[in-house]
Amino acid sequence: MNTPIKGKVAGQYVPLVDGIEKVTGRAIYTADMESEDCLIGRILRSPVSHGRIISVDTSKAEALPGVVAVVTGDDSDKTYGVIPIAMNEYPMARDKVRYRGEPIAAVCAIDAATAAAALELIEVEIEELPAYYRPADSRAEGAELLHDNKPNNIEREVSNEFGDVAAGFANSALIREAVFDCAEVNHAQMEPHAALAEYDVERDRLTLHSVTQVPFYVHLMLARCLDMDTSRIRVIKPFVGGGFGARTEALNFEMITALLARKCGGKVMMRMSREETFITHRGRPDTEVRLKIGLSETGKILAVDCEAVMAGGGYAGYGLVTILYAGALLQGIYDTPAVKYHGYRVYTNTPPCGAMRGHGTVDVRHAFECLLDRMARELGLDPFAVRRANLLYAPMRTANELMVNSYGLAECLDEVEKASGWKQRLGKLPPGRGIGMACSHYVSGAAKPVHWTGEPHAVVAMKLDFDGSVTVLTGASDIGQGSSTIVAMAAAEILGIDIGRVRVVANDSAITPKDNGSYSSRVTFMVGNAAIEAAKELSRKLREAAAQKLDADPADIECEGEVFSVRGSQQSSLNFQEVAFAALALEGTINVKGTFRTPPEAQGGKHRGGAVGSTMGFSYAAQVVEVDVDLDTGRIKVEKVWAALDCGFAINRLAVEGQIEGSVWMGMGQAMSEETRYQDGLPVHANFLDYRMPTIVDTPDIEVFIVESNDPLGPFGAKEAGEGALSGFPPAVVNAVANAIGLDVDFLPLTPDRVMDALIKARREAKKKKKVSA
Amino acid sequence: MSEALPQFQLSRPASIAEVVATLKSHPDARLCAGGTDLIVNMRRGLVETDMLVDLGKVAGLNQITETKKGLEIGAGVTLADLIANKAVQTYTAVLEAAGAIAGPSHRQSATVGGNLCLDTRCLYYNQSHWWRKSNNFCLKYKGDTCHVAPQGNRCRAAFSGDLAPALIVFGAEITLVGPDGTRRLKLADFYHEDGAAHLDLKPGEILTTVHLPKSNARSAYGKVRIREIMDFPLAGVALVCSGAKGDETLSVAVTGTNSMPLMVELTKAQMLGADQDAFFAAINKDVQKSVSPQRTTTTGSHYRRLSIAAVAERLARELCLG
Repeated sequence: MNTPIKGKVAGQYVPLVDGIEKVTGRAIYTADMESEDCLIGRILRSPVSHGRIISVDTSKAEALPGVVAVVTGDDSDKTYGVIPIAMNEYPMARDKVRYRGEPIAAVCAIDAATAAAALELIEVEIEELPAYYRPADSRAEGAELLHDNKPNNIEREVSNEFGDVAAGFANSALIREAVFDCAEVNHAQMEPHAALAEYDVERDRLTLHSVTQVPFYVHLMLARCLDMDTSRIRVIKPFVGGGFGARTEALNFEMITALLARKCGGKVMMRMSREETFITHRGRPDTEVRLKIGLSETGKILAVDCEAVMAGGGYAGYGLVTILYAGALLQGIYDTPAVKYHGYRVYTNTPPCGAMRGHGTVDVRHAFECLLDRMARELGLDPFAVRRANLLYAPMRTANELMVNSYGLAECLDEVEKASGWKQRLGKLPPGRGIGMACSHYVSGAAKPVHWTGEPHAVVAMKLDFDGSVTVLTGASDIGQGSSTIVAMAAAEILGIDIGRVRVVANDSAITPKDNGSYSSRVTFMVGNAAIEAAKELSRKLREAAAQKLDADPADIECEGEVFSVRGSQQSSLNFQEVAFAALALEGTINVKGTFRTPPEAQGGKHRGGAVGSTMGFSYAAQVVEVDVDLDTGRIKVEKVWAALDCGFAINRLAVEGQIEGSVWMGMGQAMSEETRYQDGLPVHANFLDYRMPTIVDTPDIEVFIVESNDPLGPFGAKEAGEGALSGFPPAVVNAVANAIGLDVDFLPLTPDRVMDALIKARREAKKKKKVSA
Repeated sequence: MSEALPQFQLSRPASIAEVVATLKSHPDARLCAGGTDLIVNMRRGLVETDMLVDLGKVAGLNQITETKKGLEIGAGVTLADLIANKAVQTYTAVLEAAGAIAGPSHRQSATVGGNLCLDTRCLYYNQSHWWRKSNNFCLKYKGDTCHVAPQGNRCRAAFSGDLAPALIVFGAEITLVGPDGTRRLKLADFYHEDGAAHLDLKPGEILTTVHLPKSNARSAYGKVRIREIMDFPLAGVALVCSGAKGDETLSVAVTGTNSMPLMVELTKAQMLGADQDAFFAAINKDVQKSVSPQRTTTTGSHYRRLSIAAVAERLARELCLG
């Protein structure tokens, strides 16, 4: 649709349009909005993992001077959730609590100390039920059900087979199977959760400011849980300090804050602690992946059989999408003619999991890339060679009907192989040093949204007015990834104007068009295309006005550098202001819009759950990781990373480089040190000392390469850039450790204690073998 | 789950005498120097006090003085100033331990005295009020069971200061000033093996000075942690190697493994004439034997024992042979 353009703006290094506010500290985040007239909200949380609520007595709290309102499960009998068929959470628990920390009640008071004191006065009686923290326990026969309608505590079981898997294995020269344990991780976004709700009693109107990635879904869930008409609600997303998927669904505190504001008829600020932010969770679930691969002698993948079991936490959330993604994205990266998948999303008495950067794919890709590497070794093949033996050729459709229109993985492999000196260095590194590699991919937006309304996936409005400025109105949520900059760049590029003339107004439901939000890497692709369409419409109007003035055919009018001229003519030209005035004289303020709909052929197969994983284009990544392993302490130091990403076309090279580094870094966190830990359901990781994100000191040099495969449907040929490089890191580091010390590990993260245990076990086994052979 | 600071009075005395007087009139008052640990604990509801005594204005507390016998280090000296001080440069273990504490911005305000008097840490203790209440509190604070060792009758929380072992191996002493006057004791004797009462600090007493004996012995500090910065020690070890080449004598102290920092009893401290490999292997064994890490961190105690012993052996080799 859009031919790639190397224009004045697109393809450059452009600082984010909202960056100045952030680096100067002027940016106003939700928590900064506390004012004198705010009441302070606090949430009472369940002390037990699983139990039936007998009673909640709030009378003493209500009687405490300074307490203005108290709400409980009785104040909202509507469930919420991001998947229409799986909405099973109440803003505050009603019948049962299913994890420690689940909201039971909330108060708002004149200050934080009074609110905290009020929580102590709420009397809750709970009949405790058996609690389960591991899927095996919740699935065991006779286990208490978390949700009565879900037998065996299974939220979703997925079973599918594409191609002839049995035949594939029968023809394989090498078949190997392994089980990988990947610990649960959390987004650990910098900004803790916060919401500000204001209720206008006279007009029955609610305004909510929140840290969300998805104001539209929050809007819908507020209307549902408060039983209000959507027209009475306004949702505004101020500056947001990161999301990574934590905020891709409406969250309990948003509804609770709104319920408090309505009950007290005023303004309530809810600022959550880091611990509460962790408990709200929605992170990547603890996943056990059992994987079997069949390869030909030359390393061709002939069959794949995968089982994934996810400990999803106490509620559905995004769960069924996560377990479907894990199976669907076994495909779309290599030629995989026969794939069998079995997935179980299991309820556990822990905070609910959800979407997290690389949603659904990371742990399964980890298993795949690790096992493929080991099998390549057995076949005497180079890790690069085994990947090259299985490349796809676009355009094509995978066995599960995923559309692949552009594919730059081969170039990604070339880039990192060369830059890392792979051929020269492999096998020649000093003791304890090793290099490993892996590949990964991710969707550029889900082709079918979770809330199917029939509307376009994205709408962008543009306004040209008397001042000669172009205002772009978008509902796309910039959470730090640079989406507002992308729409500004698209407008400037298409209109041929300076980006300084473009203002982006985003995320106020009273002003900006509806957008589904920032998730599944959809914004650049969908909103970018809508912005291009809107800008083209505005450009058409400007060129028509210019043509009238220049007495030429509109088709012959060009605009570059804010100068309109007739193609091929040197004499007559008009500046942007002159053309804008001419266009405004014809019709007054100009409002245009652009939309984007996903093409039907991108929407996946007809099989159950076939929409999940479907997309307009996949990003592809390859990376090489170099490590140094300390055999005495089990510590692994990441020395260097080379990462290449095929993002179709880098509209903003600065942002793309940042996103690749960020993806690698987040993958490194999951691989090296991040994990949640629960002690009988109580989080012991819920702070930044015990949840160990790598610091800058732990961060290696990351060399980034951008590969541009020019996607035929992408905006300027672009695809996603924010997630694809993540899932390659964990397997690349595991493969590097194998290269360094000959130890294959089946767990994440590679904390020194786990590595030490594995080393001791390996030494013991080696001794045993020696004895036997002796 | 409020993490708001509770209400408190702030007292800002100008002299040690005033500090002692304030502590006498307000027995629940808490001393606050850098506040990098105290304030976090206050937000978590771990500190019950209506008064903080800010030590920032106390005269003479932030000096480092060189004497014939060695260094007199004021308890209010910040870790950053300690690291930058010329006279401290020969005490490598002290520099390395101080430099391994938290992050650069913490070290700008955190003090020597604060690190020596650091509260013990435990995953059942360093949690929010909601967390601890849901878990029926613990022996260290408001409860009657140690969740780490439920059969035992004492708190197992781990002392997690990095600086103490590095000073102890040099034989450092400290001065304490209180209502009954001044006393001086070996830093090693300042601590008890009890996570709920690990400091030998009498009511109204303040640690004012660290006396670091003159030394130009080779020394080192090694810290086991997951990340290269920020983390408290899963275990830490300081070593001093004195004596001539071939006649080295080692002293070793550890932290993070017990409720107190402790000297490691070496089966053979002198390398002279010894089989080198056996000598260093013995140090590994000795460290393993003397430490008793408990389930106070998310990282297993077995690992903490093995890794700190390995680090001790490695540093011993480097110091003696390097």
